[in-house]
Amino acid sequence: MDLAIDRELDDFRAMVREAIAEMLPPRIAELQKAHGGINSGHAETLEWTRILNERGWSVPHWPAEYGGTGWSPMQLYVFNDEASKAWAPDTCWGATHMCGPVIYTFGSDAQKETFLTAFREGRYFLAQGFSEPGNGSDLARLRTAARREGDRYIVNGQKIWTGGAFASEWGFFLVRTNPDVKPQAGISFLMIKLDSPGVTIRRIPQINGDADLCEVFLDNVEVPAENLIGEEGMGWTYAKFLLDHERTTSSFIFYNKRELARAKALAAAELIDGKPAAEHPEFRSRITRLEAEVTALEWSVLRELANEEFKYDRTAAASTLKVVGSRLQQAVTELQVDLLGPRALRFHAFEPEDRVDAGPLWPTHAEGRTANALIARASTIYGGTLQVQKGIISKLAFGL
Amino acid sequence: MDFNLSDLQRMLLDSAERFIGDHYSLEHRRALRDTADGIDHSAWQTFAELGWLAILVPEELGGLGGAMTDVAVLAGALGNRCVREPFTGTAVLAATILAGAQSAQDAVVESLVAGQARIALAHDEPGERYADSAPRHSALVAGGPGFVLSGQKMMVLDGPTATHFIVTAQGPEGLTLVLVEDGADGVARSDYALYDDSRASDLTLSGVTVGAGQILATGEAAQALLSLALDRARVTLAAQSVGSMEAELEICSAYLKERQQFGHPIGKFQALQHIMADMFVATHQARSMLYFALSRLEQPASVRERAVALARVHIAEAAQLVSRQSIQLHGGYGVTDEYEVSHHYRRQLVLEKQFGDIGFSLARASA
Ligand SMILES: Cc1cc2nc3c(=O)[nH]c(=O)nc-3n(C[C@H](O)[C@H](O)[C@H](O)COP(=O)(O)OP(=O)(O)OC[C@H]3O[C@@H](n4cnc5c(N)ncnc54)[C@H](O)[C@@H]3O)c2cc1C
Repeated sequence: MDLAIDRELDDFRAMVREAIAEMLPPRIAELQKAHGGINSGHAETLEWTRILNERGWSVPHWPAEYGGTGWSPMQLYVFNDEASKAWAPDTCWGATHMCGPVIYTFGSDAQKETFLTAFREGRYFLAQGFSEPGNGSDLARLRTAARREGDRYIVNGQKIWTGGAFASEWGFFLVRTNPDVKPQAGISFLMIKLDSPGVTIRRIPQINGDADLCEVFLDNVEVPAENLIGEEGMGWTYAKFLLDHERTTSSFIFYNKRELARAKALAAAELIDGKPAAEHPEFRSRITRLEAEVTALEWSVLRELANEEFKYDRTAAASTLKVVGSRLQQAVTELQVDLLGPRALRFHAFEPEDRVDAGPLWPTHAEGRTANALIARASTIYGGTLQVQKGIISKLAFGL
Repeated sequence: MDFNLSDLQRMLLDSAERFIGDHYSLEHRRALRDTADGIDHSAWQTFAELGWLAILVPEELGGLGGAMTDVAVLAGALGNRCVREPFTGTAVLAATILAGAQSAQDAVVESLVAGQARIALAHDEPGERYADSAPRHSALVAGGPGFVLSGQKMMVLDGPTATHFIVTAQGPEGLTLVLVEDGADGVARSDYALYDDSRASDLTLSGVTVGAGQILATGEAAQALLSLALDRARVTLAAQSVGSMEAELEICSAYLKERQQFGHPIGKFQALQHIMADMFVATHQARSMLYFALSRLEQPASVRERAVALARVHIAEAAQLVSRQSIQLHGGYGVTDEYEVSHHYRRQLVLEKQFGDIGFSLARASA
């Protein structure tokens, strides 16, 4: 065992930190700091992707032949940590972390050329069309049907929770191409252009005032057969590949570290009975306890990145990161809300054009905190609910 | 002891559940949010006609002379549907203060009972939170024919629809409660919405002229009256919170029977059954705690305050468990504005943080 972090990483960290500071427009960082979360800052996300791409850093985790940097897992970790600390937005997750890897692994040369280039260059936003109204946790029985007619598919059905669909040019969809085999075997992975005739998108108003989630209605949508990724009937396998691809991201470790740091700053700034909240024992111990939990999570992530030999199925480790990471997202943002006390109750509009200046009585650090905490309720729901994750752990670790 | 409703309380609850159940659908509440002041003016008239605004007003002032247990019955029904009309501020807090005022306030009380006057407490000031007994920066000084009031107030709940404010200020005799009309010279409001779609205001008072008849209480009497009124308000909020939890039990258990995944109603999953059972236990305990607090409201201030603080901690923590799990049980639907549970969640957040949050109540109870 060697529990020391490689010293060379310090130089790497200094290098990326400096580069990010140079590249990241303060306007984007400020927006991300105030309103970032699971939000609709699509334009800024793409702008940041383009800036990164100029340096060859927009898809650092991809294989070098498709534009990756060849960084080690630890270097990638450090890069993401620094970007998050600097309040950089993510790149479009669906494109760079989900669909991209599926395409470079299973796609045709033409698809690689078309899509990978566009994802890398941040040309448009990409939506993930998996979940359906009747099929969330039970995704395998999804019903949206794609019928092959010559050189195209005719798609009919409905998707829901399609994050950012209203602002996306394309979506990657799971569709049923064969109704006659067992559910998992009849699913295919299809790229659908969202301005195609027959596609209707409705934004869903959310608990936090945003409306990023969408319903996507597909009514006799014609999709060229060349938009099928890989083989027909292999969609479920690709989807599992995509979800398993990055085992540590569901920990939201960078988010959790950053938001804990923000909570500490709020605790120093917010006064209760004339004393900073940080000096009140109740808040002190809450912060300390969360710090312990975030630290443990970071070390769980490091074990995964360093490929520790693991007695159990690795997926159980990934689910562990997801269970802890999602609970922490909720706990840390709730702490922020409590630190603000009654000032957390004021509604702040989500859409930039609706935002008003709250005036000098209101600390600017209050804005966005409650909205973030409200949508953090979703962190134990999306990407496999908390109950589903626990089911996975008990099954894969213990065969229960 | 008898925990069952009296005949009168049963009638009150039946009419409340009927009116609120029919009237305050989710669509209706969502539509109200988009109105300028967020309140349902015609429903408020019904509140008055049904006598709800008069419950705590003494009979000699034209009220029903009822008890806080009656208020709690009604507040539970309001909480069931996340009704956010300014009931607590006007019919509990202000009614208590006006009924105990040193100067007769018959006309205002009459108009409160009739549903015309809505009265909001303007207490909080910048840089403080839940400072019940700290000296006010807002100042009432002798001047003109009587007094002049100046100061800055924050987060005056239901401020935008208030016809009057009860302003706390530092006067010649210490803490002073002053009744100020909205729109009086020198009163400026800045209005905004809260996350449950209710409204609040910041209030700037610049040289507002005050006559002796507007002084409701001073010194120790003012402090005692304010803390009684605040404790009654806190219990009213707690009762709404319990009502909200009880509604969530219904909503979630129905959803678990109806929603299918993996070929079964999701209520077949033991993981979810246990969550529902936890919610049931928490809600049951919360109602017990509400009764405990109600039983202590007439006792000496120190006993009352501690009981209310204990109840607020326990009920608010139960409400967090219930409102969080209600979202969880609904999956993605739970975080949309189109499902009841997200409204209960936001309402519970606001109920918890009005007039003292969990941290405040914890400190108060353990002091
Ligand atoms: C903010 C957000 C963003 C999202 N983004 C996307 C996106 O971009 N693209 C996309 O395709 N989808 C997206 N989703 C959808 C998400 O993946 C689903 O919401 C999730 O899979 C749960 O499905 P459901 O909402 O239908 O809940 P349901 O599956 O109906 O779950 C309801 C309840 O039942 C429980 N439950 C279900 N099955 C079991 C079981 N076997 N054992 C025990 N309990 C069970 C759940 O834990 C939950 O408590 C998003 C969701 C959210 C909230």
